[in-house]
Amino acid sequence: MFAVLAMIVGIALGVILEPTVPVALQPYLPIAVVAALDAVFGGIRARLDGIFDDKQFVISFVSNVLVAALIVYLGDQLGVGGQLSTGVVVVLGVRIFGNVAAIRRHLFRA
Amino acid sequence: MSAPAAPPPSGADRGNLDQAPGYGPDFLTELFRNPLDAGYADVAARRATAGPPRPTARRTGFVLRTLALVGTGLLLSVAYQQVIRSAPEATSVRNGLVSDVQARQAETDAMQRQADQLRAQAARLRDQVVGAGAGSLLDEMEARTGLARVTGDGVTVTMADGPAPTDPVTGKPADKDPGRVVDFDLQAVTNQLWHDGAEAIAINGQRLTNASTIRLAGSAILVDLAPLAQPYVIEAIGPSSMLDALKDSQVGTFYHYLSTTYGMRFNVDAQDGLALPAAADPQLRLARPIPPTPTATTPGSPPSSGGH
Repeated sequence: MFAVLAMIVGIALGVILEPTVPVALQPYLPIAVVAALDAVFGGIRARLDGIFDDKQFVISFVSNVLVAALIVYLGDQLGVGGQLSTGVVVVLGVRIFGNVAAIRRHLFRA
Repeated sequence: MSAPAAPPPSGADRGNLDQAPGYGPDFLTELFRNPLDAGYADVAARRATAGPPRPTARRTGFVLRTLALVGTGLLLSVAYQQVIRSAPEATSVRNGLVSDVQARQAETDAMQRQADQLRAQAARLRDQVVGAGAGSLLDEMEARTGLARVTGDGVTVTMADGPAPTDPVTGKPADKDPGRVVDFDLQAVTNQLWHDGAEAIAINGQRLTNASTIRLAGSAILVDLAPLAQPYVIEAIGPSSMLDALKDSQVGTFYHYLSTTYGMRFNVDAQDGLALPAAADPQLRLARPIPPTPTATTPGSPPSSGGH
């Protein structure tokens, strides 16, 4: 599937280019990864449910990453960075687990 | 992520937790029950009525989707590299510091050995010029003030902290620790040994001169700027009566009481063949030229059987 291929290409690009993340963005990298994973798992579940849409997937991906990073940045400025990032990670983690559970039901029953 | 403003489309997810008909479930219930974006369901409903999307829309959608997935892969690998790159930095810095400390310590030890050799050489040359030697007044004074290496029989006192007491109620370490060895304890024992006739005392290999200090800095005991590690071994060369005199003295009975009550280690043993190193040279403050005719003074026999 092109999707898996695209991801592998992305990983290979990261390994080959070895981009150095600017120091200002380094704290937001983990949260961006979790947000991106949430969008990807949501897309996989939508595909298995038969309701996948490209535009929705791309929008959810971009907005997930941006909003998560924005919330963490806002929390850092306000002084509650740790708590807000914990909240964001919890919510994203719950969504990932929920989508993975639905994917599991699709794969092992149907 | 978009929060739904209306009840879920299926309607079958409404359970007893809904507050009233017409009110959707609260945010957390919605989060746990419907982790999927409601946007997908909306688009599917719209597609059911409007029909499949046009080919151009499908192509742009495919390209964008591929780009998003490439971006995800890139994010994953970059994040992995960040983690891998930063983790060894802490350990490599620490290893660098450790090797630095060890190199400096080796340098200091080598310089100390060189200083000892030069000191012995200077002493030999001085003995030749002054005409002093073993048994002379200079030798005797050096032995007593700690500037010469001495061997003899004497006493070894070993002291160490007792186990730290814990508060029986809270289980945490108690505030007072009477079983801990502080500088006062070492001072009291060494003063008692001097009183009982010791001629040379060393603690953990650090020879005490008449100007030595035993003090507590933080939680470490220092003798003349050298920190000591437990157990503290006080070696004293002196008469054979020193052992009993120490055990029977007030100091000895006090620390014996501490050792039996609070577990502080306090062992007093006779030891033969002690060899105490010389202390570091004190700073020279006053020197006078020797008179032209050397005066040979032979001191009386040493007052005790120990030390030479």
